Amino acid sequence: MNKLTTLSLAFGSAFILLASSCSKNNDVVAPETSKLTTKTVADLDGSTTTIYYSLSTGTQITGADTASTKWDIKFKGTSLFINGGTSGTGTTQAQIVSSTFETLTAAPTADYKTDANGTPAISGWYTYTNTTEPQHAILTVPGKIIVIKTSDGKYAKVEMISYYKGNPNTTTAEFANLATRPASRYYTFRFAYQGDGTTNFK
Amino acid sequence: MQFIFLRSFILLLFITPLIAHTQTRDTLKKDTVNTKQLKEVVVTGTRTPKSLQQVPIPITRITSEEIKKKGLVRLNEVLSEQTGMTILDDPHGQGIQIQGFDPAYTMILIDGLPLIGRSTGILELSRITTNNIDRIEIVKGPTSSLYGSEAMAGVVNIITSDPAKGASAGLTTRYGTNKTADLSLNSAYRNDKFYISGFANRYSSGGYTLQPSSGLPTVSPFEGYTLNAKSSYKIDAQTTIKLSVRYYTNDQDSKYLVDNRYAAGTGTEKDFNIAPVITHHFSDKLFSTLQLYRSTYKTNSDVRYTDDQSIYDQTYFNQTFNRAELQNDYSLRDNLKLTAGAGGQYESVEATRYEKLQSFTSGYGYFQADWLPVKKLDIIAGGRYDVHSVYKSQFSPKLAVSYALSSKFTLLGSAGKGYKAPDFRQLYLNFTNAEVGYSVFGYEEAAAGIARLQQQGQIESILIDPSTLQRLNAESSTAFNFGYRYKPNSKLYWTANLFRNNITNLIETAAIAIKTNGQSVFSYFNLNKVYTQGIETDLSYQLFKPLQIGGGFQYLEAYDQDVLNQIEAGKVFTKDPVTNLTKEIRRSDYGGLLGRSKYTYNIRINYLDEKTGINASVRAIYRGRYGYKDADGNGIVNRSDEYTKGYVLVNASLSKPFLKDAFRVQLTSQNLLNYKDSQVILNLPGRLIYAGVTYNFNKTN
Repeated sequence: MNKLTTLSLAFGSAFILLASSCSKNNDVVAPETSKLTTKTVADLDGSTTTIYYSLSTGTQITGADTASTKWDIKFKGTSLFINGGTSGTGTTQAQIVSSTFETLTAAPTADYKTDANGTPAISGWYTYTNTTEPQHAILTVPGKIIVIKTSDGKYAKVEMISYYKGNPNTTTAEFANLATRPASRYYTFRFAYQGDGTTNFK
Repeated sequence: MQFIFLRSFILLLFITPLIAHTQTRDTLKKDTVNTKQLKEVVVTGTRTPKSLQQVPIPITRITSEEIKKKGLVRLNEVLSEQTGMTILDDPHGQGIQIQGFDPAYTMILIDGLPLIGRSTGILELSRITTNNIDRIEIVKGPTSSLYGSEAMAGVVNIITSDPAKGASAGLTTRYGTNKTADLSLNSAYRNDKFYISGFANRYSSGGYTLQPSSGLPTVSPFEGYTLNAKSSYKIDAQTTIKLSVRYYTNDQDSKYLVDNRYAAGTGTEKDFNIAPVITHHFSDKLFSTLQLYRSTYKTNSDVRYTDDQSIYDQTYFNQTFNRAELQNDYSLRDNLKLTAGAGGQYESVEATRYEKLQSFTSGYGYFQADWLPVKKLDIIAGGRYDVHSVYKSQFSPKLAVSYALSSKFTLLGSAGKGYKAPDFRQLYLNFTNAEVGYSVFGYEEAAAGIARLQQQGQIESILIDPSTLQRLNAESSTAFNFGYRYKPNSKLYWTANLFRNNITNLIETAAIAIKTNGQSVFSYFNLNKVYTQGIETDLSYQLFKPLQIGGGFQYLEAYDQDVLNQIEAGKVFTKDPVTNLTKEIRRSDYGGLLGRSKYTYNIRINYLDEKTGINASVRAIYRGRYGYKDADGNGIVNRSDEYTKGYVLVNASLSKPFLKDAFRVQLTSQNLLNYKDSQVILNLPGRLIYAGVTYNFNKTN
């Protein structure tokens, strides 16, 4: 993770250097302080248990800590919960923004919701194909970026990538065939966590 | 009444042939190519007889001879081979797509009178036999200025044949794959003042399955009958009365698998039309037609679980359509013809899925001026005003112009409005799906339906207050057609047409409430704005005497304007199939409306050996890939796995006449290359082979 921070800092400063060198007006630019960490999590195994996950540390939370505010997002089958409201002891809130992961450069400042009975803050991230090919599949919906405001007021954006082990191509015959389809409840997703408390995702 | 009708009918069928004993030539032979198309008259474009070359709107004329040469017997078979027409595969039946419009937007007429009985907008075209027809006329582009609602994409008019002089009779049979049998009998008598003709057809099939392992049919066995009688009497030189009666009935078995239990039953469909007409020439200049028409359409189905005979589904649907119409054609001057008409209609429907008997009353008036200011220029201006008991009144104007650059080349252009009224379903449906649990209410039923569900405690939340619903309006279109007809000699005929249809107020379903079971309650809204545009061209050429070739091509674009706006705004996304990461959709990724092929074409070859009379006909029909589903969850077609493959159907027919053409043997194949897509295209059963025999006799006194 440190590597990533350094990398993003390096890229950031390179960009600033480039931008300032091109600019005729050599205003002094404030140094980049973004604490953005980006991570892709592959095949988080939720096939037997509910997964509690911390976006600030980028790790799975287990044991007694699942009753604390240490986790931000919970994966249970096709349901996603956040640590707040009816789902946890924290004050986490979330909303879905229509965007690509990359082009969402700032978290919205308003319109967050927390989990309530029957109306979770996060919904619509997948479709169930029922009897259309590939039959009975859970497919992630494009352009549904989950923006989370964690219990300690930090912002993160999450894109759900796959519900199946190995992040398979869901357009193949192998996936369509229920006998050869990879196991479900293996979550692949990517997220960016802004540790500096701003809404900035750059 | 139907019984008496049936009995007199059978009598008619069998007595007339007895009078006849000399043989006549089969109608096929009449079609000697050199005299063809010299005096082709069409009636559908203007509701008056007019020369095909001159009529200023896109119109296709398919003769009975052409249909017989190809060995085709049902309307869906005939239309599927036409340039710019595509038969859609849909569980509710085989309907036609014209200029990118769904089947609900094409009016199907028999002798100028509309057929009713559409299942979710689709009129099953195989209901209509082509064994008793003279020709089919197809007008493309909105024709609401003459025919009112539904004629937004165009009109298909089946014109039944009038008998030849004397006594005549005939028999046509075709039998083949899937035990599909088509048997027709006709007989007629005609003298100077009077004619009567009878026609009976039986069409049946053993059905087929594309998923043999399922043990369930894709198309179930059916057995249908068409009876048709026509009579005309010339009271005097000025006045003629006519009566035509048509009856169609079809029984189809059905079999389903519901929660691991089999359910089976029978569905019956009955269609009855009666149309008396009186025509009168008041003077050389004024000709009047008074037409009455009644049509009823009934379906009934009873499906039960096979294990304990308990009811799975019992439904009925009864629709009636009644019309009285007066049309006057007046020749003001030699170069100016006026047509004016007015009519009243009463329609009703009563069905399982409707609360009670629902009815519409409507009235209309139409006017048309056909003016030739100079010989080469033909201007037609007209319009129709429809007043309706339930939805807003409609005015549908039309202007069409043709200009003959030379005797061989005619330019044509037209602009007009079309509309489609909300149908009974969109207004009155009251339906709850027993298995899944969602509900659908027509606009007029929404408030009462929601209130009822609320009372029963079934509503979790209201999304749209039914009292704020906007009144449902007719869907409407503005269309432009521009093209030409080129006929340099009797051998070549070439047409082309550019079209654009702007459609607004499309009626779609949207959720208005969420039920406690998690399912939605839907109602109907005027939502979408779409457009279709493209070009169509068709050419036929007599290469040398026995060999005629032809081909047609259509390029089609059909897009939802709202989706285009959203793409423009960067609000539509897809998932890359390899990485499953979100990408933004660009304009070029958008595949347009479902079921529309960008490219379609056909190639036709006909060989007629003059000496032996042997006729061979081969046609290849290509339908380019089209979007059939949304797989990536963005609601539109954009990814390659959301398209079918493009495919070619090859149809062929071989026939030989005997006994001076009275007797003809024919071998026909459809889908010779045996193309199948058992997952997606359910109306393609694979290769079909038929053998047929035709026998005709005629005696002129």
